[in-house]
Amino acid sequence: MNRIASIRRTVRSLHSTASTINPDEIDFFSRLASQWWDPRGEFALLHRMNPVRVGFIRDKIIQTLDEDITPLDHLSPTRSARILDGMEALDIGCGGGLLAESLARLGARTTGVDASESNIKIAALHASADARLTTGINYRYGSAEEMVAEGKKFDLVCSMEVLEHVNNPRTFLTSCADLVKPGGHLFLSTISRTPLSYFLAIFMAEHALRLVRPGTHDYSKFVKPSELVEFFQHPDLAWISRTYGGIPIRKEAEIRGLIYNPLEGAWKTLPAGLSGTQCNYLFWARKPNLS
Amino acid sequence: MLCARPLLFRSACLSKSIPSRPFSKDSAAASYDVVIVGGGLSGLALAAAIGSLPLARELLNIALVDASDLTRKYNWNSDPHTYSSSVCSITNASREFLDSIGVWQHVEQSRTSPIESMQVWDGISNSRICFSNSDIDPGGSIFEMARLTENLNLHRALLHRLDEIPGRVELIDQVKVESITRSGTWPVVNLSGGRSLQTRLLIGADGFKSPVRSFAQIGSSGWAYPSHAVVGTLHHPSSNHPQHNTTAYQRFLPTGPIAFLPLTKEVSTVVWSTSVQLASILRSVHPDVLAHLINAAFRLPEVSIRYLHSILLERGADGITPESITEEIKFRENAHGIGPHSALYSSDVVSLGVGIPPIGSEAYPPLVHSVQAGSQASFPLKLSHADSYVGEGVGERTALVGDAAHTVHPLAGQGLNMGLEDARVLAQTIGEALSLGGDIGSYISLIPYHTARYAPNHAIISVIDKLHKLYSLTSPPAVWARSVGLEVLNELGPIKSALMGVAGSKTKQDMAEPLQHYGAAGWHAAATVVESLSGGIRTGKVVAGSLGGLVSSLVQNAAKNTRG
Repeated sequence: MNRIASIRRTVRSLHSTASTINPDEIDFFSRLASQWWDPRGEFALLHRMNPVRVGFIRDKIIQTLDEDITPLDHLSPTRSARILDGMEALDIGCGGGLLAESLARLGARTTGVDASESNIKIAALHASADARLTTGINYRYGSAEEMVAEGKKFDLVCSMEVLEHVNNPRTFLTSCADLVKPGGHLFLSTISRTPLSYFLAIFMAEHALRLVRPGTHDYSKFVKPSELVEFFQHPDLAWISRTYGGIPIRKEAEIRGLIYNPLEGAWKTLPAGLSGTQCNYLFWARKPNLS
Repeated sequence: MLCARPLLFRSACLSKSIPSRPFSKDSAAASYDVVIVGGGLSGLALAAAIGSLPLARELLNIALVDASDLTRKYNWNSDPHTYSSSVCSITNASREFLDSIGVWQHVEQSRTSPIESMQVWDGISNSRICFSNSDIDPGGSIFEMARLTENLNLHRALLHRLDEIPGRVELIDQVKVESITRSGTWPVVNLSGGRSLQTRLLIGADGFKSPVRSFAQIGSSGWAYPSHAVVGTLHHPSSNHPQHNTTAYQRFLPTGPIAFLPLTKEVSTVVWSTSVQLASILRSVHPDVLAHLINAAFRLPEVSIRYLHSILLERGADGITPESITEEIKFRENAHGIGPHSALYSSDVVSLGVGIPPIGSEAYPPLVHSVQAGSQASFPLKLSHADSYVGEGVGERTALVGDAAHTVHPLAGQGLNMGLEDARVLAQTIGEALSLGGDIGSYISLIPYHTARYAPNHAIISVIDKLHKLYSLTSPPAVWARSVGLEVLNELGPIKSALMGVAGSKTKQDMAEPLQHYGAAGWHAAATVVESLSGGIRTGKVVAGSLGGLVSSLVQNAAKNTRG
């Protein structure tokens, strides 16, 4: 009973703060939250996706670290095994803490934010069981907008499988971009708006195979990679200076298709570019340095 | 002097120096990332492989628990003329793995023997398959097919390697696992003496009766074969045998296969699988009687072997003297017209060891002069395969390797190699999870290990089991079918080389490439062949079914292998 009351409070408070968070969805995911950490449960697809998206984050970070090394530094590339050591990371829409825990284990001082209070409770509870995580992770109930208002900045901002659920993607993306330090990284994963994504993410995943609960996704909220590129290319942000055939240059942003093989039960990333981005995809962009 | 033992055991010393704590088990539970239960070869190899991961130093706290005295194995130092009868065949793939984790350099090379060829034949029809290095590469750039050594030699090497990895693997020996419980979702291993280890990931390397498997509620299926294996160390000095004792021999008798495995130029090991009653007699007969019986078992026609078995069963171990068994063997040799100039002659070992050996001697192992005192032993044979190698739900945060996951008949010498490959893949899986910030105990982190190992192990288990069953048949159609099968197989280079890929052969050019795919293809080819043979025999379609099926599957697989 307490939980339902807290969700009602959450919903009311969210209405009053005119946030981008959709109240119906908070209610929906709170009901699912207790199943977050069951690898064979309702979030099985997300559990299976996590290593792949962490791999994407890891590889982009390593690549930029390598490229940032000036010839002088080049003699001492002794990097810690924990590649995110010394970084501040933010996971927006952290859910039960799947990605946040991985970021913390890789060395980042991680903040996980979620619009569902019960998700935050589950995430904190789960992390507290692991002595190696207790110092590197911090969860808070709230929204990206609240973090912006507080003037917080991070080296690494991630928001995975969230964009396709928000009511006002433009405001949400602006907040995400604001939270990144100059020279920092933004990682998103979401679903494109194509006939294929309707067929796979809604018809097959929700209705035919029941991999995901029906009602999880709303086709009209799906975001195309080209729309993301356009958003970050706009002079207001100018994270992307130019594109070639719709593809941004490698040092500024990257799009990678993400496909699920139901027979292997495994996700796989495709090479950088627009091929295979008709359904799930990963997006990375780097905020320009002030200089 | 409390810690006069080598560096390796400082932790064990430490654990003993702490008196049992006054508070409850839970509050005393030390926290680990990996606890391995079982200090056998697979468990130690896994510890060395995980300990050698580049990320392990910073991120993992590892312990290995074993009931035996590991210090004795660490200090093993055998007299150069005595050999343990407990031996293993290490394929080239396994050796490459042991080398990559820094273990092979600690193996005493003078106590290992290369296998350059293998001779395998049918106990009834005598149809034979020969594997040699020329099958793989006629150019002759192959050095060997596998390496034989005493288990203790490898055991000691593993412990010495672990000693080199400071502070990373804590060895806790001479303790029993009293119980395994849970604290939240984390397993807690409660040891005799009151110590408790809470762990992120619990690995069962604890053998056939695996307590970790029971704790994880992972089922397993299998059965005990109605046979035991007898082992012994064989001495065959001043041999004039045409080979330099680098050939392994195996004869499939209806009671089970008998294998002759070289250890040095003058020393070998026998692994003789036979009925439980015969095994108990062979284990306790006078060593000289066993020596005569082994020589005869590789040479006399099957009908005479059966006769010798009936004498053993009638008189028991104490009722047979070396003289009486020699007389019996001589009698059978006379009956078959086998004289002193035949390669099948064995009743006068001493006179055969000098001068020019009879024609065809290389088809049989060197004549055994004596069995090393105290080396005779026997053990039961089993087949089992766990339903999963990774626990989930009530069994979460557990994984199984080696005999805890699978037990096979020793006829193909694959048991240890399967366990080492498990260790290699599990360590690699853990390394990958670490580099992705994963929780190494989670089902999601561990499932790639299960996926990579389950099917290949299953293929090996089923081929070994079917080979065993196939060769225990004595009906003429079955013998005919399997003999044709073996002879056809002997003529087909690609399948043979694939099978040898598993046996561990490789060319120097292949050194850089991982051997595992090669091996898997071989077992799949072999699985199909054996499937056709045994399927044909079972259904009675011996002529049309098995031969037709056999040839077509051979051709298909040959094509697959040459492509792949």
